[in-house]
Amino acid sequence: MMVSGVALAGVADCGRVSGGEGGGGGKQQGGTLTFLGASSLIDAFGVLANRFEEQNPGVKVKQSFESSSTLLAQIQRGAPADVFASAAEEEMNRAIKDGLVKGEAEVFVKNREIVMVPKDNPANINRFRDVAKPDVKLVLAGKEVPAADYALEILGKSKDEYGAEFEKDVLSNVVSRESDVRASVNRVVVGDADATFGYASDYTPDIRDNVKVVQIPPDLNIVATYPIAALEDAKSPGLAKKWVELVTSEEGQRVLKKWNFKPAA
Amino acid sequence: MKGRDKVGSSTRLPRGSDTLTSGLAVASLALLAGFVSLPLLNLIVWTVDKGAWRAMGSPVAVDALLLSVRTTAMTMAILLLVGTPAAYVLARADFRGSRVINILIDIPVVLPPSAAGIALLLAFGRLGLVEQYLNVVGITLSFTTAAVVMAEVFVAAPFYVRQAATGFGAVDRRIEEAALVDGASRSTVFFKVTVPLAFPALVAGTLTAWARALGEFGATIIFAGSFRGVTQTISLAIFAEFQRDLDAAVALSVLVLGFAFAVILAVRNLTTRSTGYRA
Repeated sequence: MMVSGVALAGVADCGRVSGGEGGGGGKQQGGTLTFLGASSLIDAFGVLANRFEEQNPGVKVKQSFESSSTLLAQIQRGAPADVFASAAEEEMNRAIKDGLVKGEAEVFVKNREIVMVPKDNPANINRFRDVAKPDVKLVLAGKEVPAADYALEILGKSKDEYGAEFEKDVLSNVVSRESDVRASVNRVVVGDADATFGYASDYTPDIRDNVKVVQIPPDLNIVATYPIAALEDAKSPGLAKKWVELVTSEEGQRVLKKWNFKPAA
Repeated sequence: MKGRDKVGSSTRLPRGSDTLTSGLAVASLALLAGFVSLPLLNLIVWTVDKGAWRAMGSPVAVDALLLSVRTTAMTMAILLLVGTPAAYVLARADFRGSRVINILIDIPVVLPPSAAGIALLLAFGRLGLVEQYLNVVGITLSFTTAAVVMAEVFVAAPFYVRQAATGFGAVDRRIEEAALVDGASRSTVFFKVTVPLAFPALVAGTLTAWARALGEFGATIIFAGSFRGVTQTISLAIFAEFQRDLDAAVALSVLVLGFAFAVILAVRNLTTRSTGYRA
């Protein structure tokens, strides 16, 4: 589950893993930073990892990207990691409550949800309310995965605008619950699903040929907030601190903005 | 799985072999038995200790188990119907290309199930070659229970066909020919002579194939997706629960352990009683 390899971008789908490789066992002044991040962060943090390794010669960044809920469960079970970033405050708060976080968590970026459909749009979804049409094959991330929780929140808010049946109709269209948001986006990329909920930042350059975006009306949309924090059991607390600094720095924010995230401030 | 009893008894340790060797062999067996039983025991201890057994009756667990029962039953029905004659041909006929077919049949055994899932998705998914034609007649496979059965048949078929073919191959042709000479029809010979003689192998093949289908995970989650009551079999439910609630995942694991154990015991008992043969 946690492998380190060079570079990124293209492997967003099944790879789940990116980061850089320093050298065999470069221990000297280097060390390893292990980062667990929400799967929507995979592309931007691949870039940040390379930046970090450039700035800290000899340091290796190992990263693992899964749903925030899966990562929280892993941390609770003692997975060795230095820094955790989740796609919702809920997971971070639970980590704090369990005494797993060192110091305070910091919101470093924001995101919003969009609906994605295959380019040829087989279910003919042209505006948000079309996802409730009968026979739409809708895919969501799994239970308790932030991307799916946000989607449910949006559906709950839609009542006033689209009527009480809207939420029920949309949920009855769900044909699969995927392990994380990137997995559900990929169902649309390969064309098997008619639609999915994802983050604005999941609409990455490498899927733009296959996917179309349907915007969610701003008054119904949510603001996803991403907190980051060093972990109590960090093996490299010094690097953890530096990593959080990079992510929250102007430079880090620039990278994140490039991947369609909204700056936290 | 269990033609082994016979083999085991014919390969006794040589008498008077030095005690060190046999001691090591016994120690190895104890080590292996311990390695297998310890995790299983832990599952049960955890379940009792944390009261996790309550999760066995949860709707997720019940739906998943029922779906696994249904899909593996369909898988085995298909395998028995199609796999048995196929295995017979494989065992008896020596035709051009039979070597190639033999290798082809075995490929799903060595192919990682996740790769099988991708292959099935490409072939039968919406972008696939087949689905375009199916779509015309209004059939879609992705995210359906049918897709689960297809994944299970794909990965389990070789386990049945291979053992059935070996069983048929071991049936003495002269017995079949004698029955034919006595005026029995080909199908009578097959059902009254060949199948009974190959029966232990057929049962063994059925059990391993069924176990493989029950455990199917990678091909199913990739090809069929995961949705409660439709495509979320017990293996998929364990994974889904593991990502949020370890206790529930443990309870489901114990549930499937008990279920598999019960099925294997029942099949053993039934076949022993009906044939007097220990399968």
